[in-house]
Formats: sequence, C-alpha cells, structure tokens
Amino acid sequence: MELDCRGMRCPIPIIKLAHALKTEAIVRLLSDDPATLPDITAWARMTGNSFTRINNETFDVKREN
Amino acid sequence: MGSVTTFQSEAPLHPAAAEFLGDAFARGWADPSKIHQESRKVALLLNEAKEVYCQHLALRHEQINFLGEPSLGFHLGISGLITNDSTLYHSAVDRSEVFAVASAIRSEVLPVDITGQYSVPTGTQSDLITYQSINGETGIPGVVPNNFAGKVFIEASPLISLPQKWSSALWDARSWNGPEGLGILGIADKGWVNPLPHNDSRVTPGSFSTPLAIAGAIALENYVSDFNAHESKIRALNAKIRNFLLTQIDDVDIAGDLETALPHLLSFSLLYVDAQLLVDELDKSGYAVDSGSACNSMNMQPSHVLAAMGLLTHGNVRMSLRADHSEMEIDKFLSTLKDLVLKIRH
Repeated sequence: MELDCRGMRCPIPIIKLAHALKTEAIVRLLSDDPATLPDITAWARMTGNSFTRINNETFDVKREN
Repeated sequence: MGSVTTFQSEAPLHPAAAEFLGDAFARGWADPSKIHQESRKVALLLNEAKEVYCQHLALRHEQINFLGEPSLGFHLGISGLITNDSTLYHSAVDRSEVFAVASAIRSEVLPVDITGQYSVPTGTQSDLITYQSINGETGIPGVVPNNFAGKVFIEASPLISLPQKWSSALWDARSWNGPEGLGILGIADKGWVNPLPHNDSRVTPGSFSTPLAIAGAIALENYVSDFNAHESKIRALNAKIRNFLLTQIDDVDIAGDLETALPHLLSFSLLYVDAQLLVDELDKSGYAVDSGSACNSMNMQPSHVLAAMGLLTHGNVRMSLRADHSEMEIDKFLSTLKDLVLKIRH
C-alpha cells in the first residue's frame, strides 16, 4: 500500500507507518518531512524492520517481524 | 505557580560571580590600561583572572585572548590557521558554527557511528582538524586527533584536559556557568593570522568586557571545584535515569553510554512521541527540559547531532544534571515522564 504523509511533521509519518504495518507487510511511505530519513533509519534499527530509500521523499518499508 | 525543576542547559551565573558583577557595575569601572590608582587595581584584578584561566585551562598568559562574542572564535580559531593548501576535517557532530566556517573553505565532514566515534585521517602539515572535547548535546567526548599531521582546533571544555598537540582552542564561559558574552580563544600556533580585516595580523579583536572576564574567572574556579566534588553524585543520577528509561519505558533511544560520556548531560529519544507535546506537558508539571527534535527548533530541522549518529530525532529530551538536583526530584520526574509518555502514545 502507499501511505502519503507529505505535509505532515514528525513524528506523525513514523506513527502512521507503524500503524499501517500492523496489517500490511510492505508499505510505500511518501514523506517530505526533514526528520523522516533519520527517523525511519532509527525506527528500523529499534524495531527490527527494514526499508529501502527510493528517493528523498519515498521509502519502501518491509515488516520483518 | 508551583516550583519548577530545571534540567535545561542554561544555568544561572554562579552567585560569587554575580555578586562581583553587581558590585563592579555599581562602582563604575576604570580602564585597566590607564595609570591612576583605580585603573591599576582593575589591571591587577584582570591579571589575577588571567592566572585563574592559565591554571584551569592549561594556557600560558600570552596564549589567552578574550572575546566579547564567543561564537566569533570559531571563525578566528579555524580560519586563522587555514592556508591555500589546507583541507579542514571536522566531524558530523561538530557545532553548526564549525559547519558555517567550513562552508567557506575546502573541507571534509567525518561521518560518525552510533556511539559518536569517527576515524581521524592522517592529513598533511597544512591541514586542520577540529576536536570537540565534549559534545554539548550528548556529553560524548570527541576523538583526540593524536596521529593527525596538521593543525588542531579545539572546541574546549574546562572538564577535559587539552591534548598534547593543539593549535587554537575556544572556550565559552557559559560552559562553566560564567557570564554570557565571554569567550576565550587560546592560540598556540605561531603561524596564526587574524582572518578579520586588521591592523595587526597577530591580534584578535580585543573587544571584551573587563568585568565579565573577571567574573568568568570567579565562576570557573567555583565550577571546576563543584564539579569535582559532585561528579560521583551526578553520575549516579545519570545512571538512575538511564536505568529507568531502559527498564520502565519501551522504545527509548539513549545517546552514548555512561562509561565514556560526561555525566552532567543526557539525551534520549522516545519513539512515537511528539517532543513538543511532551516538553509542554513536562513544563505544565513543573519540569523544564531541552529537546533536539525538529518541532522544538527555530528552523524546524532535527538535531544534526542525533541524525549524524543515526539516533531517533523525534521525541527527544535533553537534560543537564547538576549537583543541586536531588534523587527524590529525579524519581518524581521519572514517574511523571513515564505517565506522560504512556498518555501521549496511548
């Protein structure tokens, strides 16, 4: 699924992402918040999930557990 | 209004320094370079203050330059050592003032790992590297550039000894609860040249307030002895907070560990927590804390220090611990924090 969080500020994109991953195994996150790149990196480390950065505003996130 | 427990970085001026300043401004202030009795007295006091700085900062008299604008010291200290052949190496967790100076010259950012460590390049004799003795957000010491071939600029702290090799070093008196508007630039390198428009290439601006320079020395003496006397207590408070965060609250990202970091600073981030909301709620409960999260910064950018280390930038809380914080205050704070985090995450 695609989760469009453009225009939203931290920590909302990460909260919405975690929520979406409760039901989805793969989520494409769109976010233009400057905190998203560092925070999705830290979030993946802390929660054991993984992501691929497609570009500055697009992240493909995979639930690993 | 109830009482407020502050864990913010801005500490009040040391009472002894405040008393001196009040007195100095009430009596008026003589120019120490003139030759009448009052001026000689002031010159004597300034000289005594210099002795204090020499002793506590391990400087020689002739290396001391007082600055009325501490952050100007980044430009003076770094650009004054740069030649056409130089590359400036600085870490990704250096202060934004270092990034600003670096943007005008040839420079390279050294990436840091999650513990704040980085590898020091060898460099050449004309290169310059920065060394931050303590990171002001995390309390983590920088990497001493022992094997670097070139010059070394230090963002210094009175709590960490200068390394054997250094070229210029900058202290801000606020780091020892001294007055605002006082920097000390130590210059050890004979090749240093004033990078500002100048009449004398060997001289820094010299526009500083004599009373502040003297008050800063009084504050420094007291700060160092207080810190030494209370370090173990402050370390125990820091350990208590870290232990609580790790055992009582889920999903907390703590910067560094207490084995290597200075104990009076602590930075941690809470996953899924809006820092602005948390800081406001803590404020209403009587606790003042700092935060490096984007929503709490003027430019809406997250802390570059947290981002560079790969630490969570949202939900960030930064605390400065002091000897006058009691264990009971910390306990109350932690229980309030836990309740608020649960409420915000619901």
